Amino acid sequence: MSIDKTDPFREARESDRTVVANYSDERIPMILRHREVRLAARDWQTYSSDAPCRVPIPEESDVRQVRQLPIEVDPPEHTDYRKLVLPFFQRPLDPTMAPKIEALVDTLLSEAMTKTSVDVVAEFALPLQSRALTHLLNMPMEESELWISWGTHVFRTGGDSLDTEQAGALDRYIEQQLDRAEDNPGADFFSELHRAQFKGRGLTREEMTGIANLTFAGGRDTIINLVSSGLGYLAQNPKALQQLRENPSLINTATEEFVRYFSPKTHIGRVATKTLDIKGEAVEVDQRVSLCWASANRDASVFEAPAEVRLDRKPNPHLGFGHGPHSCLGAPQARLVMRSVLKRLVERVSTLELITAEQAIEQIGGIERNVGFEQLHIRFSE
Amino acid sequence: MPLVKYIQHDGSERQIEVEVGQTVMQGAVDNMIDAIAAECGGACSCATCHCYVDESWRSKVPPANDIETEMLECAVEPAAGSRLSCQITVTDELDGLVVHLPESQY
Ligand code: HEM
Ligand code: FES
Repeated sequence: MSIDKTDPFREARESDRTVVANYSDERIPMILRHREVRLAARDWQTYSSDAPCRVPIPEESDVRQVRQLPIEVDPPEHTDYRKLVLPFFQRPLDPTMAPKIEALVDTLLSEAMTKTSVDVVAEFALPLQSRALTHLLNMPMEESELWISWGTHVFRTGGDSLDTEQAGALDRYIEQQLDRAEDNPGADFFSELHRAQFKGRGLTREEMTGIANLTFAGGRDTIINLVSSGLGYLAQNPKALQQLRENPSLINTATEEFVRYFSPKTHIGRVATKTLDIKGEAVEVDQRVSLCWASANRDASVFEAPAEVRLDRKPNPHLGFGHGPHSCLGAPQARLVMRSVLKRLVERVSTLELITAEQAIEQIGGIERNVGFEQLHIRFSE
Repeated sequence: MPLVKYIQHDGSERQIEVEVGQTVMQGAVDNMIDAIAAECGGACSCATCHCYVDESWRSKVPPANDIETEMLECAVEPAAGSRLSCQITVTDELDGLVVHLPESQY
């Protein structure tokens, strides 16, 4: 039987086993079922995030020194860090944000329609993600040019190839911006980090760097993969595009369904605080386990016909944005970007035609999963 | 159209006509009631549309299913009457429904 690379966990999940992600110095059993992933995500006392560079799989100690915040810390500190950054991450919920993101989509669609085809990954999703981030962080639009120039594969979190040199570019950039904001404060994200009060004191440079690092790294590949996967799907399924055009009220449910089906973040690590047994795999204290959102999102005990994309799926209790205390802070941004793409697409584009596509494959310690595209050329017609 | 009364954390009240078949969440969002964030737009995957059904209405509102019950564990300060407002569909029987809104969804 060939393995469906969009869901390589199926057989193990359905026979109630685990799969182990094997790295040279580490074996990481994966939790695969929806209910069990949820329970583990909430049980931070057992499945701890208090582990610098070890929440992503593979771990990232070779590409960064700093502890990412708030993701690599447990409650109660986690709760306080999270509160500090929440106002920025909630900016997309403000109704004035949607027109701004839609305008970004419009510019990119107009450009795309003048060409015979565009690489949706590098020429659409990447610039969109970077430009949208200026609005989230309240920074000048010009900054996005530099972020775009870093390319699609900068400092992957949870991916396979980790690029030390590129990661160095991010570190230097964050350092510069924190210096700039200290000398010349404004109303931007970096300036607010200087103003923030944590337990009655200001943040240390290290804490500010850890927050900024996650903000830039966490929301990059994920949004790019979501947008590319969504557009790739619509190019291959003209009926789905038609369905959205006839019923734009499906845009929200379609966005959730794309997050579920494509699960841009496959999984995330936790460190065991006591010995565990993951379906027969022993886990010692301080060893890691994986919470596999992508597998949970295909659990047939929760989702009817889980391998089908149903744009009107509702309810859709997917775990694509995680679950529990660490659930994705960037979810409002990701949702707004995807919804804006779909909204302007159905209003302005008549057909999408797939020209060429090269699937990206995530290597998960011996397991392969499709996550987004290396390149995806699509023709957008008016 | 059935009337739904939303009582905000500060005690202020909004009476809103919500179409049969719409959800209590939608009624709030369409009328700029900020205490319902509803990030996921009603997919039952965010728990930011949490509300408390008034005691007098708890027996009349159809109970939460398993999906909602599990999701409610992620809501801020769950208590008796806690529901996800996107999972309560307005019907004629719910005319006059009273829900209390939390101070914050975060
Ligand atoms: C489709 C896009 C996205 C997906 C699928 C995604 C997925 C996730 C997941 C699964 C988690 C949970 C991690 C855990 O449990 O340890 C998470 C956390 C997080 N994400 Fe996202 N993310 C996306 C977009 C973004 C964006 C755009 C940003 C920022 C601009 C962002 C920032 C964060 C942050 C800061 C956290 C940590 C929250 C905490 O620890 O409290 N994400 N994300
Ligand atoms: S709106 Fe997200 S769970 Fe109700």
